[in-house]
Amino acid sequence: MNADPASGAFLASFLFFLLTVASVAIFLMTAAIRRLRRERDELIHQEEVIFGFIHDVGDVFVHSEDVDIERMLDRVLFYAERTTRASAGAVYLYERAENAFKARALSGIFPPLESAIEEELTQAVSKSLFVEQQVRSQLIPRGKGLVGEVADFGSAILIEHADRDVRVPRHVPDFLRIESILLVPMRFLRKVLGVVVVVNPIDGRPFNQADLSLLQALADQASVSIHYAGLRDSLNEKQRLDHDLAIARQIQTALLPHAIPELPGIELAAFTHPAQEIGGDYYDFIRIDDDHIGMAVADVSGKGVVGAMMMAISRSALRTQAAQSLSPAAVLREVNRIMFEDIAEDMFVSMLYMIFTRSTRELVVARAGHERPAIIGGGDQLFQIIDAPGLALGMADNETFDAALREERVQLAPGDLLVAYTDGITEAQNESGDEWGVEKFLEAVSAAAPSGTQAVLQSVQQGVLRFAGAMPQYDDMTLLTLRIQP
Amino acid sequence: MRECKIIREERDGLDIVKLDGALDSYSFPRLETVLNELRESQRHRVILDGSGLDYISSASLGALIGFARRAREQGGDMKLAGLSPKIVNIIELLGFHKILELYDGVEKAAAGF
Repeated sequence: MNADPASGAFLASFLFFLLTVASVAIFLMTAAIRRLRRERDELIHQEEVIFGFIHDVGDVFVHSEDVDIERMLDRVLFYAERTTRASAGAVYLYERAENAFKARALSGIFPPLESAIEEELTQAVSKSLFVEQQVRSQLIPRGKGLVGEVADFGSAILIEHADRDVRVPRHVPDFLRIESILLVPMRFLRKVLGVVVVVNPIDGRPFNQADLSLLQALADQASVSIHYAGLRDSLNEKQRLDHDLAIARQIQTALLPHAIPELPGIELAAFTHPAQEIGGDYYDFIRIDDDHIGMAVADVSGKGVVGAMMMAISRSALRTQAAQSLSPAAVLREVNRIMFEDIAEDMFVSMLYMIFTRSTRELVVARAGHERPAIIGGGDQLFQIIDAPGLALGMADNETFDAALREERVQLAPGDLLVAYTDGITEAQNESGDEWGVEKFLEAVSAAAPSGTQAVLQSVQQGVLRFAGAMPQYDDMTLLTLRIQP
Repeated sequence: MRECKIIREERDGLDIVKLDGALDSYSFPRLETVLNELRESQRHRVILDGSGLDYISSASLGALIGFARRAREQGGDMKLAGLSPKIVNIIELLGFHKILELYDGVEKAAAGF
């Protein structure tokens, strides 16, 4: 059989066309599935995840013209009227603050659905304006009247002949009379976000089942956009917070050491990963003299700008005091004195301060309510947790603080590795809400300890990432490590 | 995380604030309101029943200690009861068991007044 070149070419282009259609369809389906998954997650994880979600869609809306909800509702109403040939219409939206539905968009002369207003109306200068104000000011609770009924049951109401239905208000003036009325819910997942109402087709015929189907389809489409637009209020707040956090982040970054000291015989390394929300971690290396190096890890209880300011105060208090003493407990006592007097009384800083003496390889640890540091032995790879008693800074008067604080001394040997960290690492969460935990963290540390401090940082970062996956983490993660060269 | 329910109850001249859920940065302002109300109405003898608490943020802990400190200045206190071992661990790590009084249950905390 001879293949006709023309039909071959046609077949090829037809196949190409089919492939294109198929890949577009797959792309759209994948996008739709992805969106549905996100919506499902939102329900499951409530507020925490909603905020992450708002953050994600935030960018989309910031650059979208549709961000203005009033304009979006006007557009919905315009299409609703056009589709159903209605002479007037309204979009009611659920207002969380009022726990009721309120008319947010109106078109034509839309008659009040709640009460008769004829008496005042006769005195109003502009009757249509008066009616509009009346409709806009009415709050309709769930279950009350036609709008409330649609909201409550989540299903549409079609009243072809309104004069035969007691639920429809009777207005005396002709221009307010309701002949036929159609109400459909705007649903997003199982929530009713609002109700679209149209009245009186311009051709005088009653609304029918086809109008209902079309209007419901339109309302379903609009619900998705309105749901996102409804997040806008939270979004503005979120943007303000983001701005605050950006400042906090700048302060935090400026306070971290610009370079990690290089000293013969030891390796030092550290990282800090700021989280989305809580900015409160920092670490520091302080060269007290040629033989002594101070190391600090801290976590501030406050977040945002206030937290960053707290961090700045505690850091400068520490730096000033560190030069004065070779006893970490004495240094922390002075820092507490300054902070207890100067800072907001409900805020505190957990701080670990350690001094290492290079000539003797002795480590002295003082712990102001911070995560306990650990030492991984160079020989046996066993870990030892240093539990120096103490209290977080800024919460107790000197007497209580001093009584609680006690230094621990540890003799280090070549190959030994010290780790100090903040709870953001050990409390990193996966999708099921489980925490990574101290044990898994120490396993990751000891596995990499023989390869040096950089390997330890990497091992911990990878360990957290493998455990937590794509879950956004809400707390800073900080890790500091020192190793005696073997 | 679970939304935090805050239930106030008065018993034998003491105020019992029961927390159920996660006390995080979202629910914390509501607890702050309750604590401020107590303070303004001169109610300084408070037991915080944390038996239903599954998480507490550090900012909330700071606020509790601040409340306890001010209550003590007025001759009262805030005592914590029924916390899970996990939350007790956090409190001990921060050294706050040296400032706050912790009890197994509300009755024992009440006896501590």
